[in-house]
Amino acid sequence: MFDNKSIVLSALLTVSVTALGQESAPGFDLSGFWSPAMHEDALERGGGSEIGDYAGFALNEAGRLWALSYDPSRVTLKHHQCDAYVAPYQMRATGNFRIWEERDPHDQRLVAIHVWAQVTEGHRVIWMDGRPHPPAWAPHTFRGFSTGKFVGNALVVETTHMKQGWLRRNGTPESDQATLLEYFVRHGDHLTNMTIITDPVFLTEPEVRSNDYFRQVVDHHAWLYACDDGEQILDRAPDKVPNYLFGQQPFAKEFAERYKLPLISGVGGAESIYPEFMAKLKTVTNAEALARFRPVTGRPLETSRAVDPEPHDGEIHVFPLRNNVYMLVGDGANIVVQVGDQGALVVDTGTGALADKTIAAIGKLSGKPVQFIVNTGFRADHTGGNVKVRRSGMDPSLQGSFFSNQFADAGQGATIMSHQNTQNHMDALKMPAEGIPSDTFLEEHRRKFHNGDSIELFWEPNAVTDGDSIVHFRRADVIVTGDIFTTTQYPFIDIKNGGSVQGEIKALNDILNRTVYEHEEDGGTLVVPGHGYLSNEHEVLEYRDMVVIVRDRVRAMINSGATLEQVKAARVTADYDTRYGASTGPWTTDLFVEAVYKSLQQGSK
Amino acid sequence: MKLKTLLSTLPFLLFASLSAYAQGRGGGRGAGPQPPQSPQAAAPIDITGYWVSLVTEDWRYRMATPPKGDFLGVPLNQAGRDAANAWDPAKEEAAGEQCKAYGAGGIMRMPTRLHIAWQDMNTLKMETDAGTQTRILSFTPSQSPGGDWQGVSLASWDRQATVMGIGRGGPPPGGSLKVVTSKMKPGFLRKNGVPYSADAVMTEYFDRFDQPNGESLLMVISEVNDPTYLATPFWTSTHFKKQNDAAGWNPTPCSAK
Repeated sequence: MFDNKSIVLSALLTVSVTALGQESAPGFDLSGFWSPAMHEDALERGGGSEIGDYAGFALNEAGRLWALSYDPSRVTLKHHQCDAYVAPYQMRATGNFRIWEERDPHDQRLVAIHVWAQVTEGHRVIWMDGRPHPPAWAPHTFRGFSTGKFVGNALVVETTHMKQGWLRRNGTPESDQATLLEYFVRHGDHLTNMTIITDPVFLTEPEVRSNDYFRQVVDHHAWLYACDDGEQILDRAPDKVPNYLFGQQPFAKEFAERYKLPLISGVGGAESIYPEFMAKLKTVTNAEALARFRPVTGRPLETSRAVDPEPHDGEIHVFPLRNNVYMLVGDGANIVVQVGDQGALVVDTGTGALADKTIAAIGKLSGKPVQFIVNTGFRADHTGGNVKVRRSGMDPSLQGSFFSNQFADAGQGATIMSHQNTQNHMDALKMPAEGIPSDTFLEEHRRKFHNGDSIELFWEPNAVTDGDSIVHFRRADVIVTGDIFTTTQYPFIDIKNGGSVQGEIKALNDILNRTVYEHEEDGGTLVVPGHGYLSNEHEVLEYRDMVVIVRDRVRAMINSGATLEQVKAARVTADYDTRYGASTGPWTTDLFVEAVYKSLQQGSK
Repeated sequence: MKLKTLLSTLPFLLFASLSAYAQGRGGGRGAGPQPPQSPQAAAPIDITGYWVSLVTEDWRYRMATPPKGDFLGVPLNQAGRDAANAWDPAKEEAAGEQCKAYGAGGIMRMPTRLHIAWQDMNTLKMETDAGTQTRILSFTPSQSPGGDWQGVSLASWDRQATVMGIGRGGPPPGGSLKVVTSKMKPGFLRKNGVPYSADAVMTEYFDRFDQPNGESLLMVISEVNDPTYLATPFWTSTHFKKQNDAAGWNPTPCSAK
């Protein structure tokens, strides 16, 4: 029997719920335990598809060649062992899901929907509170940044900021530029998730797929999926990345041969999605199909289709990193600022065009004068603000002190540090003397304890130049790479100023030797690139892989007697050009290939 | 407010909410009961027009005829496996049974174009160019005995449930087309003889998604229950992209091979 109080409470709840319903967008509850129905693409989602099965993917040439270059042995590399799944693949992979709502405890509005995937402990957060997506320079994660809203009978989710990952687990790539649109619909205990992947780098049209789940009434348990990398292959050279040269993928025909299909079947491309392709299967010859296993020669190079991560709005944007370290974006190269009682330490100063705004931004973070500037290299887009930022470090307390007897410029400005070769290059370029480093080091290492952190500068003797430094804030666990690593272009290997492809690979590996991921190859050590979005080791890893793979192709052609022009004509970067390529500007694809070629001809330094 | 007073207001609160709900359904202030809308007029989504398959999943089972015995992913029971392993396309063609994979249980998985239109205010007609099939989706129960490839399909609009069905001024926007098909002539879930029986019942939900880029997608979620050949329900979700016109419409006859 209900008592009177219960009835009153029920009435009030009814009124409250009704009122809440009037204020909230219509929606439905996805909460619960869900298991995937793997009735479609069971092999792909279970044991894994054959290499060479790209059918049904609207891959462009770059995507197809990337996939054909892939050697599954790559997952034996330490940093690849715990690669997580990007959001759309996570929704498609095997394993169970748990979904729950996060509600504001005070007004019960829906803040977020959490999706926990059993495999890789994939935790997605779908923000339902209307917050905007992060800026272009914000870090990417495997699951990306998702926002959702209920539209009609669907939960519509938009995801950006994903890492590079898989469209399919056989090497079919999804780039870090991909975005995801999803529609979740629920019919009773049947949940369906349609994923629409737009990837300007590897796809010619959006990839539409869907996943079905059925609700379980009990907890699946087994939600953990710990992964630590280990030593799988000993004595492997650090510059070895398993890959196949163009046209030499030994398993490219496996899919077609195993299922007795025409060779064109597995090649993929947008045409393979539509009904007309059934007729084409009967007409395309094996020779025509084989031609697609290599780059098409004699056509113009593709150029990057990636989003420009620079704001280009004339403003300096401050992005907190960790502890007392910040990234400043907006004036060319990324700037990093560490603040504290001892005054700011600044890594690189940008082009200088916005130096006043940079100084103002630093001033808001730190009430103390800038004490130190570290230059990761000599290029003007990293050192252009040196003069002004140094002046902002003028410290009257040092003038007339003991130090002023030892150093004429004591207290006149911040101290600029770099490797000696950087100073040499800046001297040679007759850069303003006031902006040239005065505190230099000659050998591999320089260290400083400042504002409570252990800061190390590592010299990379022959990476993009002969004077590059990597800066590691050990306690904050932030690494600043300079132009050794960017997310925007091929490495700017300056042969004339001491750069080399082998030195670049060594430098990238040195970064990877200092990074530690937090979970499933995500998070952990923050890596600030010379240009581009805030990263961690996964971005460095993919970049290192790319440099090694291109190096391998160029080296193979040199060994077979190819000239530089022949190497360029072979389009040895065809699978990376839609991500990093350029045909204009100071650093083109041709210049990169030339740098690789020449540094290999000169021999390893 | 005394308890007795509060309790006395409860019927009024409920009445007010229900009134608001009724108004949202077309009641209107002061209006009398309205005749129910026809299914066509009440449609929460428009799925009419031309649509083309996007074959991005189960590609080799759909774009080509897979080998005999390859029924990975389909939860067949032993009888189903036996039937699939006995598949003989030449025999099917000789017996005039080449449309077995084009029945309601398999046609939506074919690479095809759809033409969907209202036949009358209670009936949707869906034509396919693959196998030149026609499905009749009727919102009123049919007296047809069925027994042909497309069976008998009963359609209804499926909307998300609201909180107690009241309080939002009417039903929520959007919805799905629900279609339950039975009385099908035995056919194939996949072209290589993966069977469904005359006892199979298929429940489908048609959802339309209008993307920000202006394109529209149709997702057809299907659950096939077949006590004869399936151990558990067979679930698929199949996609179609909206076309502006009949471009590409290419009627082709059924083929068992």
